[in-house]
Amino acid sequence: MNKIEQSMLHEGVHFRSVCNTKFKTFRISVNFLLPLQKDTAAPNALLPFLLSRCSEEYPDYTLMSRKMASLYGATLGADVGKLGNMQMLTVSAGGIADRYALHGESVTAELTRVLCGALFHPALQDGLFREEDFRQEQRQTLEQIASEYSDKRIFALNRCAESMCAGEPYGISRFGTREQVQALTGERVTQAWKDMLRTARVEILVLGDIDPEPVAKIFSQAFGCVQRQYKPLTLSKPISHNTEISYVIDHQNVAQGKMVLGMRVEVSQLTQPELVPAARLMSALYGGTPNSRLFLIVREKMSLCYYCGAGYNSTAGLLFVQSGVEFGNMKKAEQAILEQLKAVQDGSFTDADIAAAKLALENGYCTAEDSLGALDSWYLSQSFMKKVYTPEEYAALVGAVSREQIIQAAKGVRPDTVYCLKGQEGENH
Amino acid sequence: MSTMQERKIDRVGESYYEVRHASGLQIFVYPKSQSHSTYAIFGTNYGSIDNAFRRSGETEVTRVPNGIAHFLEHKMFENEDGVDTFARYAQTGANANAYTSFDKTCYLFSCSDHVYESLEILLDFVQKPYFTAQTVQKEQGIIGQEIQMYDDDPGWQVLFNMLGAMYHTHPVKLDIAGSVESIAKITPELLYECYHTFYNLNNMALCVVGNVEPDKVLALCDKLLKPSQDMQVQRYFEPEPPSVLKPRVCVKGSVANPMFYFGFKEDAAHRPTVQQMAETEILLQTVSGDCSPLFRRLLDAGLINEASFDSEYFEGPGYASVLFSGESKDADAVAAQILQELERVRQDGLDPELFENAKRSVYGRIISGFNSVESLANGMIADCFAGRSLVADVNAAAAVTKAAAEKRLQTQLLPQNAVLSIVEP
Repeated sequence: MNKIEQSMLHEGVHFRSVCNTKFKTFRISVNFLLPLQKDTAAPNALLPFLLSRCSEEYPDYTLMSRKMASLYGATLGADVGKLGNMQMLTVSAGGIADRYALHGESVTAELTRVLCGALFHPALQDGLFREEDFRQEQRQTLEQIASEYSDKRIFALNRCAESMCAGEPYGISRFGTREQVQALTGERVTQAWKDMLRTARVEILVLGDIDPEPVAKIFSQAFGCVQRQYKPLTLSKPISHNTEISYVIDHQNVAQGKMVLGMRVEVSQLTQPELVPAARLMSALYGGTPNSRLFLIVREKMSLCYYCGAGYNSTAGLLFVQSGVEFGNMKKAEQAILEQLKAVQDGSFTDADIAAAKLALENGYCTAEDSLGALDSWYLSQSFMKKVYTPEEYAALVGAVSREQIIQAAKGVRPDTVYCLKGQEGENH
Repeated sequence: MSTMQERKIDRVGESYYEVRHASGLQIFVYPKSQSHSTYAIFGTNYGSIDNAFRRSGETEVTRVPNGIAHFLEHKMFENEDGVDTFARYAQTGANANAYTSFDKTCYLFSCSDHVYESLEILLDFVQKPYFTAQTVQKEQGIIGQEIQMYDDDPGWQVLFNMLGAMYHTHPVKLDIAGSVESIAKITPELLYECYHTFYNLNNMALCVVGNVEPDKVLALCDKLLKPSQDMQVQRYFEPEPPSVLKPRVCVKGSVANPMFYFGFKEDAAHRPTVQQMAETEILLQTVSGDCSPLFRRLLDAGLINEASFDSEYFEGPGYASVLFSGESKDADAVAAQILQELERVRQDGLDPELFENAKRSVYGRIISGFNSVESLANGMIADCFAGRSLVADVNAAAAVTKAAAEKRLQTQLLPQNAVLSIVEP
């Protein structure tokens, strides 16, 4: 089993490590959590990309890339995501364990130093991010926003979440809007970087074949030089406005329809953390596995959807059912998906169904123990939980859930928004 | 009695075991005692390109509808007793799946517990075909929808448009799932014929990587594998001219950013060796990787982005090409810059420092690959069907010289064989 060590380097700067030499690589991820807000989403979103591009020491994209290649293809990665009502800015570094270096170098020490330099000593000119770096990342972010349009599954899911939580943090895109990204300036983004270092809640994760001590020391020193003004951040739950289901329909030049049903779930990490394992199990039984009701009945038996599955977000208390449906079958599919929810709420499932859902979830959690990427996401998702569980410990919690708890969790699920992506109008759909 | 050969991978201090089972099946077991999970693949050397073939002893070529390998994969999950295979896996908690590619069909699962029970299900259902007219008809509707889904995927479109422009006759240009028209011709009889031709254990392999004991895997194989008659299948392809069909194809699609593939066809009479594969990988990393001057020029000109730009060596039976892909506002300009850089490298040779860095990057990627039971199992089965081996893969990169990588340019990345495919808004 992979044991987790936790400490606090400074107020709001959490350090967690899961070290194990069964891995041939290591990974360090530094995650900055900030409230997701309309006016700061865009400047914040640019930061991880801008910071991982180059630094004072490697002041140019090519120099930084060469440094990474010389460290046996080490990576400096950037990402922006959401954790409940927080925006999560991630800069991560990964590479092979020191024992595999061919010339006795310490990949871990070098990469830690480069990562820390990138975050705290970026390549600035007159105190600001350089125009060429800023413009480059601005363009690439605009292109990333555009490419989410090309993937229709992601597009439909984002549109459903945005419509359902309009006017709330949950409805804000992780990148901000296109217009907001276009309007950014070097000054604005430099200010966002300073604010991030001062005010964000920070989660540093060190995973794999690496000694965490020197990493903790370097980051502790680095944050010690920042005038932290940290005000504890807390999760909040999205507010429900709907009393009946709302419908949102888009038309594009597509051959197959996509339908996403957005639902509110009473159980969340915030409201009833003790029931979250039951809600996860409920979601798996409803639509999370090939043995689930959505797969077996709506997809296989009724042949209404090419794919149909449910995903539960325990931080936000939201559940989305995603499906690929022929335009003409959308109403029928919607009814079938809702009927199956009703069936779970009424407890019409067998003990064998429960056992199968438990096995599938337990299997998923235990498998996560073998992947640094999966462990990283797992622990990050628990950033705001009072008690942190290893995936194996969590598997045991899921194993202990009762039929009544599943039904209780299901009864707190309420359909809110149905999003449909259809073909062009006038095409007889 | 089958005996296992140990294959040591010195670089990472691990071993795997290989055996040709009496039934004809090639078996690989890679134990990882510290792994929570186990990943198993049972696959056949049979994919979407196998729409024409000759069995040993036959002179006539048998032709079957396009998309039948993929169709067969879907149908394998149904059983005579009416119990769906996924329902069987539900008893063990394994995460099961299957995929059909151009040249192989694989059935797989990953699990953390009940490994041998899951393996038993895998070995059992893949050896038991069951097709009826009624279930075939139902599947035609389901796969028809899957084909439609791919029609809406611009990433898929831009690749197949390129393959269609690159190849005159080779079936790699055809959609893996076939078309609504071609799958309409599929019958239970045709499925049984393809099954008995390609799901012969002599044409298949099993790879198990993870928390397993080789002896137990072998014992289960002894119990469950049904000996197959030793039959060979020959792939049959119409002659393919060396030239490309057309150099450029551009269509409108539902995209916000234009997407492109820029591919270079090459001679594919023989599969490249492990050594040649490593040479090409390092060559591509040197010429177009993150630290190359070409990558930087394209980035500075706003022509590519880091999230999408990529290069790969795409090769299989009867086809081989180097592909560059990504999103670009001006794919023609990207193609021109790539051609220009290749011309320069042909004249000046590769930069020695960039070449060494590329070798290091490739070495790091190989080491990292040993973390994942999934990538090991998938890599081993692909190697097996291509006549390569994991041990050779690991050592090949270190042996690549600058001169050898440069020599690849004599037969690879030739400007007269280039095809540009674009999907634009």
